[in-house]
Amino acid sequence: MSEKYRFDTMSLHSGHVPDKETGSRAVPIYQTTSYVFKDTDEAAALYNMEVGGHLYTRISNPTIATLEQRLASLDGGVSCIACSSGMAAMHLVVSAICSSGDHIVASNKMYGANINLLQHTMTRFGIETDFVNPNNLEEIEKSIKPNTKLVFGEVIGNPGLDVMNVPEVAKICKKKNVPLAIDATFNTPYLMKPISHGANIVIHSLTKWIGGHGIAIGGALVNGGNFDWGNKEKFPTISGSHFALNGISFWEEFGPSALTAKIRAEGMYNFGPSLSPNNAFYILQGIETLSLRMKKHIENTKMMLKFLKENESVSWLRHPDLEDHPDHKIAKKILPLGSGSIIVFGIKGGRDAGKAFIENVKLSSHLANVGDAKTLLIHPGSTTHSHLSSEAMKMSGLTDDMIRLSVGLEDIEDIKIDFEKGFKAAAKISSNKC
Amino acid sequence: MYTNFKGNKVYFSTGGLNLVKDNETLCFVHGAGQNHYSFTQQIRYFVSQGYNVIAPDFPGHGFSEGNQTISIEEDMLWLVELLAFLKIEKATFIGHSQGCLTILELAEKKPEFVRGLVFVAGAMSIPVNDFLIDTSIDNPEKAYDLMVTWGQDNYGSFSISDWPGHNHLAEGNAVMKMNDSSVLSKDLKSCNSYNNGKQAASTININCLAVLAKFDMMTPLKKGLQMVEIIKQCDYKILECGHFLPIEKPKELNALIKKYLNTLK
Ligand SMILES: Cc1ncc(COP(=O)(O)O)c(C=O)c1O
Repeated sequence: MSEKYRFDTMSLHSGHVPDKETGSRAVPIYQTTSYVFKDTDEAAALYNMEVGGHLYTRISNPTIATLEQRLASLDGGVSCIACSSGMAAMHLVVSAICSSGDHIVASNKMYGANINLLQHTMTRFGIETDFVNPNNLEEIEKSIKPNTKLVFGEVIGNPGLDVMNVPEVAKICKKKNVPLAIDATFNTPYLMKPISHGANIVIHSLTKWIGGHGIAIGGALVNGGNFDWGNKEKFPTISGSHFALNGISFWEEFGPSALTAKIRAEGMYNFGPSLSPNNAFYILQGIETLSLRMKKHIENTKMMLKFLKENESVSWLRHPDLEDHPDHKIAKKILPLGSGSIIVFGIKGGRDAGKAFIENVKLSSHLANVGDAKTLLIHPGSTTHSHLSSEAMKMSGLTDDMIRLSVGLEDIEDIKIDFEKGFKAAAKISSNKC
Repeated sequence: MYTNFKGNKVYFSTGGLNLVKDNETLCFVHGAGQNHYSFTQQIRYFVSQGYNVIAPDFPGHGFSEGNQTISIEEDMLWLVELLAFLKIEKATFIGHSQGCLTILELAEKKPEFVRGLVFVAGAMSIPVNDFLIDTSIDNPEKAYDLMVTWGQDNYGSFSISDWPGHNHLAEGNAVMKMNDSSVLSKDLKSCNSYNNGKQAASTININCLAVLAKFDMMTPLKKGLQMVEIIKQCDYKILECGHFLPIEKPKELNALIKKYLNTLK
């Protein structure tokens, strides 16, 4: 009988038992490109995906498989594929499901690269996307057309922090027989598991909280195994004949794991966005403390929210756990442990004050990442979006006074002291302006 | 592959290929609440080894429609009628769990169809406790979960798999959810009420193979070994895993079946 282990236990053990030959307690790093076949029979079986096993690290690797199995168990999915980045995971999903002439419905409040991929790159390949308000259920339903093959959104949008009503969107998708893929980077399976709310595919940037230490880029897609791909007209490359399986159907042969079987045979094989075994190891180390870190991230976030709310230099503050956040009710329901550790706020004095703040903090790092153990900040107005006018920024849901804060695990008092320094500098700019 | 059989859409997996006239046939018979996906890592492997494989979804299971058969005797009759319909005169039958009862019954009542028999995690009888039967009626999804958890050893607990990226506990649940929700309780009742296994086993006159699981909680090893005792010539192997042996130890099972098939040549 197998035990049903709980989250913390799974984060330490899933996908690995001590190595039989060496007794290695830690997950070994299989730093190899390829694997000696026992005989020609085994080689053929692996090439044809008749049985499981490893053939070539672009397609699978034992260290990476441990990471995949750990993520699948944490998210409650049937199977998982880890890959070189969150964006690679997103591309693998889109390219596995959609072909030229197909249509996607996606949230308009997503991470910029997710939007760019759909809005600019995929359109070159004949895949069109309609962007919708992630919480306008009517708009989502209306936007689904006969050729819609995917609905996509983020649980907590980056950087606007809109929370998608995943259970309700999932109901619409089920009714329309369209798979729902959810980017769960900002919540991680510790805060919320989209599959248990009816989503069909989960996408993670492992680079962020899951890896948790800002040392490795990685991504993963987890397959819920809860979508019926059997409609051959609608999903011909999953349920119809496919070249990668010598003309047979992934759906008929692999059922609940058809999607990942296809992605391994086609996406990993032909595009090759493989993770390195070393990075898989680093990310596994991160997962071992995921729940401990997330608890502290949330605890520090709560205290930072209080601190920022009371601070005179802060003109506005946004986080789904605040009662005035438009999605607060949804967040309370689907993210009961907390809505992540990103806070966005405005700084009095606009773009220049924001710049001054960023330049005068010392402990908090100014960089283009989130979800590190260390506190991170970015001021889109002077970095990623510096080429845009205030009006143009507003159009993309941003303001030039906005700071994005990824709350780290430092002692909260030290973060506050650091912020005071930044605020002081910003206030000077602000008062000069007046 | 789909066919219209007895007025219903019926699915049997052939590994995606057409049956080849002169190839020997292997027929995989799934267990309670399962379907052809129990044998994902066997079907295409044996097709590549040059066999015709058929792994039918019994009515109401997987992709097959129609009224569910409600006893082992009915399962067996449905199966032989399907074989006749597909013009398969003889096959080696590989049963898993409830599928072992079906092929025991077949061996006694329709021996002319049988070239060989492989019992995987099987026994001559499979009594099912009332709690599981009741749960399968009141809350089928809970019963799936119980079966999948009881049915796998450590491999399940730790999501250990030779198949990269797979989490068998969740996958086992997903496979069972593909069936009609009334299917499992009927299957469990079929298992529970079948009592001809010992008699059927005693009539078998061919060389058989039993592949049993050391940590089997659904059909305990002890009961599997009793079956081996009764069958006149039954080779057996015990693998260190749970009841869902074809998923937990696919390579070992395939190698044993392959060796056994060679003895039939
Ligand atoms: C929500 C979200 N999804 C996906 C990504 C892309 O992840 P990666 O950088 O690992 O490709 C990011 C990166 O910032 C992100 O914030």
